[in-house]
Amino acid sequence: MAVKHTKKLFIKALNKKFGKDFDLAGQKVEYKRLGPEQNARKREFMEYAKKLEGKRGMTGYNPYVHAGGIPMGQRQLVPYKLSSTEYVVEGDDLHFVNNPAMQQFWDDIRRTIVVGLDMAHEVLQKRLGKEVTPETINNYLEILNHAMPGAAVVQEHMVETHPGLVDDCNVRVFTGDDALADEIDDQYKIDINKLFPAEQAEALKAAIGKTSWQAIHIPTVVVRSCDGGTTSRWSAMQLCMTFIDAYNMCAGEAAVADLAYAAKHAAVLQMSEMLPARRARGPNNPGGLSFGFMADMVQTSRIKPDDPVYVSLNVVAAGSMMYDQIWLGSYMSGGVGFTQYATAAYTNDVLDDFSYYGVDYATDKFGGWAKAPALLETAKELATEVNAYGMEQYEEFPTLLEDHFGGSQRAAVLAAASGITSAIATGNSQVGLAGWYLSMLLHKEGWGRLGFFGYDLQDQCGPTNVFSYQSDEGAPLELRGANYPNYAMNVGHQGEYAGITSAAHAGRVDAFAVNPLIKVTFANPHLVFDWGNIRDCFGKGGAREFRAAGERSLVMPAV
Amino acid sequence: MAYTPQYYPGSTSVGINRRKHMSGNLEKLRDIPEADVTAIMGHRAPGADYSSTHPPLKEMGEPDCPVRQLVTPTAGAAAGDRVRYSQWTDSMYFAPAIPYWRSYWGAINCKGCDPGTLSGRQIIEARERDIEAYTKAQYDSEMTDVALCSMRGCTVHGHSLRLEENGMQFDMLARTEFGADGNVYATKDQVGIPLDKKINLGKPMTEAEAKKRTTIFRADGIPMCGKVGARKYDEAVEALHHMWELRSKWGFRPE
Repeated sequence: MAVKHTKKLFIKALNKKFGKDFDLAGQKVEYKRLGPEQNARKREFMEYAKKLEGKRGMTGYNPYVHAGGIPMGQRQLVPYKLSSTEYVVEGDDLHFVNNPAMQQFWDDIRRTIVVGLDMAHEVLQKRLGKEVTPETINNYLEILNHAMPGAAVVQEHMVETHPGLVDDCNVRVFTGDDALADEIDDQYKIDINKLFPAEQAEALKAAIGKTSWQAIHIPTVVVRSCDGGTTSRWSAMQLCMTFIDAYNMCAGEAAVADLAYAAKHAAVLQMSEMLPARRARGPNNPGGLSFGFMADMVQTSRIKPDDPVYVSLNVVAAGSMMYDQIWLGSYMSGGVGFTQYATAAYTNDVLDDFSYYGVDYATDKFGGWAKAPALLETAKELATEVNAYGMEQYEEFPTLLEDHFGGSQRAAVLAAASGITSAIATGNSQVGLAGWYLSMLLHKEGWGRLGFFGYDLQDQCGPTNVFSYQSDEGAPLELRGANYPNYAMNVGHQGEYAGITSAAHAGRVDAFAVNPLIKVTFANPHLVFDWGNIRDCFGKGGAREFRAAGERSLVMPAV
Repeated sequence: MAYTPQYYPGSTSVGINRRKHMSGNLEKLRDIPEADVTAIMGHRAPGADYSSTHPPLKEMGEPDCPVRQLVTPTAGAAAGDRVRYSQWTDSMYFAPAIPYWRSYWGAINCKGCDPGTLSGRQIIEARERDIEAYTKAQYDSEMTDVALCSMRGCTVHGHSLRLEENGMQFDMLARTEFGADGNVYATKDQVGIPLDKKINLGKPMTEAEAKKRTTIFRADGIPMCGKVGARKYDEAVEALHHMWELRSKWGFRPE
């Protein structure tokens, strides 16, 4: 059952930001206007830019060209504490360009493809009369883990990739069939029984059944040179070559086409859908990534299933970074502003405080998670309470308001806490979404302002799509994603929607939100990013403690 | 019987002030000269001709159009003025105006304008001589306190930041200053370009007066939902719950 949490969790972070004995509640302050020199990271940028001046032969970074010569830092430039962690980093460290963990997060998604084994085995057995046994599967997996990184099989005089550049590549299998799983060599297996709590393992195995699947992660360096659409092609070629080698096939026989079709189309699960032509992205790019898949990729649900808020907020962090900073902020918009929006949702324990407050309130009222009736009335009570509590915190602590200095930041955090509370209380993501929109309307009504251009399309019109089942807007939240019609542009929403999706299932202590194959694939302990501890891993990236894959220093002169 | 618009629910001072802003029935607190308002807006030098984007309508030979016959053009439209803007930043610490209510005021009371509402700023665009008149109306009225509200075309942050020690809203570009004589002076235009002379905007409201005239609900002023453990919803919340529920059900449409 829910743990009672100390309220005002954000005070520790505010003390780290503004100083230990600082009056966090004061409404007036002396602005010292110390400029960029007050901040270590800005000093580093300026010093490095000076070194580059001679080398580049042209001007570059210079904060004194900002706003007619008045640089940033007219108020205190404060650091950020990654929520629920001890990491305190500068804001700059949370831009994905400066944060290798964030880059790896996205790389790990787009280099992943899930391919069924059963269809290929049927071709081998029924069409070719070949024997498929645990021994042949293990042999196949050994060859595949040689070939998938970019090594040759079958053909002579082939070029190959340097193992040191592609060491993050691996293929492991999983199945719901314990008898088959027992026969697979441990090094090639994602062991559902070991990685998941018993009840979750049983649910996953029941959902997967006797089918078997390959979790394929191609080299990071490949998708950094190409894109997510490459992943199925790269993997399919190596899968086919491996089948030919492992099962002594003729390289040109027609059955290979069946294997290729299975590997490229019939047995493939992409991480995200292809986008329409106006957005012009192939599969395995971020715009087609559904909130349900995002909720399933994050592994906190198996590591800390007794804390649904913690689970949901790790999904919020994942989604905010992916959808806001990378997808909307860079693929769709450009510029550097989106980082500022997104970080509000995963730093300084603010969303944590509001969400724990709400879930404690709901638990007191309804007797536990997923116990409240899935009704508009429930969303009305919970979202009104949580939103009012959150607005009061901003009013009581002017430093908190100053920390979330933009309305979009506050809107995201207040509405996410309202939605997550409603979803955990009812175990229903649609009720969570209803709570989100009520929070948005209440926020606007109270302060006469909301987010970017009033969030007047997405949020003020939003309640009408919560329970809609019209064809282009009627999907359950689990199946909506970044390209859902009304969600396609507003920052500070999509990560939170993924969090609300996760919250409904975390409240029910479900093993997965929408797809068991995704949940198990990202349980692979040999992924480079730490999928169980999203915020912690972003902190590591910001603190320069994270080592990403796909580096090229092995084949370049030393700096 | 003449219809009297209701505009907004609630019997608190916030509800009453919101209705006043929407109705346009506002108290005039100061009279800033037109030339000074023009200088702070920064689009043209005071006394300079208006730039135009088309000839006066009378010279254009407009088509035979029932809408044109019904709607009298504003002075700026008739003259062919270009479209310019004024943008306001209002502090969350009891500034009289809040962005949506500046927009509602504009949309209800000002012809030919285009309000835009954000969290930290509120813009109205209109033909140049029209926006000058609308801006002066805002500056002179109880919608505006010269310490807690300021015109900012860019680099607008300040609405959510703590106040300066002298009670002024934070402005990175320091476009206004608090004078030793207790008056607030504009020293730069909307986009931060220094003015030829300081413009006296008069004395700021006291904290008590700002709280009396504000349109923002706050826990330390007029709360919208009571407080933790003692909830009491303002009538505005009850009306909003009703709208939210109907919007949600409308989208379901199970017919």
